[in-house]
Amino acid sequence: MGLEIGTNPMDMDAIAARLAADFAAELTGVRVQEPDTVVARCERAALKDVARRLKAHAEIGYETLNFVAGVDKVRHLESVYHVYSWKTNTYLELHVEVPKAKAEVDTVCDVWPAADWHEREAWDMVGIRYLGHPDLRRILLKDDFVGHPLRKDYVDSAENHPHA
Amino acid sequence: MTDMVPDRFKMRYPKLEHFQEPNVITTTADFIFSWGRSHSVFPFTYGLACCAIEMLSSGFARFDIARYGMEVFRPTPRQCDLMIVAGTVNEKMAPVLKRLYDQMSEPKWVIGMGACAISGGPFYDGYNVVNGVDKIVPVDVYIPGCPPRPEALFQGLLELQVKIQQHKFVAETPKPAAQNPKPAAVTPAPVAGEEA
Repeated sequence: MGLEIGTNPMDMDAIAARLAADFAAELTGVRVQEPDTVVARCERAALKDVARRLKAHAEIGYETLNFVAGVDKVRHLESVYHVYSWKTNTYLELHVEVPKAKAEVDTVCDVWPAADWHEREAWDMVGIRYLGHPDLRRILLKDDFVGHPLRKDYVDSAENHPHA
Repeated sequence: MTDMVPDRFKMRYPKLEHFQEPNVITTTADFIFSWGRSHSVFPFTYGLACCAIEMLSSGFARFDIARYGMEVFRPTPRQCDLMIVAGTVNEKMAPVLKRLYDQMSEPKWVIGMGACAISGGPFYDGYNVVNGVDKIVPVDVYIPGCPPRPEALFQGLLELQVKIQQHKFVAETPKPAAQNPKPAAVTPAPVAGEEA
């Protein structure tokens, strides 16, 4: 491809402006957070469509999913997608707000297959249910664990400690 | 020369009182069996966390666990008689640990190595942590430290040798069950505040 490692043919502000223009209806708060990272927020309903278009974007093209994080923001939950663009050697941090009352969001497994285990971990720890996930089981904790321990309001129960 | 050896490391020869409780006179059988057992312990490779690094380094030339006749680490419980629990036991691992312990052949011993195996250590009262391996299996020797140095492991092994040599061939003394009372007060978890 002729690109050397560590080079970025596009200016960071140009990337942010391009994303804000191409995804004017879906992405909000597009800004450059770090020298190689753009941050944006996305509506829950538009996530699957945005993910497909982000991956297929001609100039930037976020082909790689590095991480999916589940975050408890006390008022609401967040599903955060860290995706990487080989074309520009930059990252995008995509925040999706998930209400606690209905903690559901579409899976991006069919867009980025790497999301599989990450979404299972977010389900396990924070309790975000990923709709359409092929195999949404707990991944770190035992199968009969009660609750999602990284929720801020999680209270440890005796059920999870049968040996104590 | 014999006075240089501490009392607790001396071999226990059968005395008159040994012949009174079991109605069988074994003369030196106790001594022979316990001597053989205590000097040919096969440890089970059961490293769960950073204590495992100390356990493995104690097997190499710098510390050399082979000096005590215990260098034969086995990766299967069926060939082992000592389980060194080196690391944090979490709730998901607990049934596996119990099954592996049950698969070991008698007589068998357990060493709780490090703060996590003793009480949960820095992860005490965690949502997925067993607060000490003695909640699941009986522990013979506790080795404190985070993690303990190989020298500490060796001292624990020597203490275990003393314990093995006290076992009787005719009537094995039953091991005491795990009795660790849970502390009354548990440090409350900090309450999450509203985000600014």
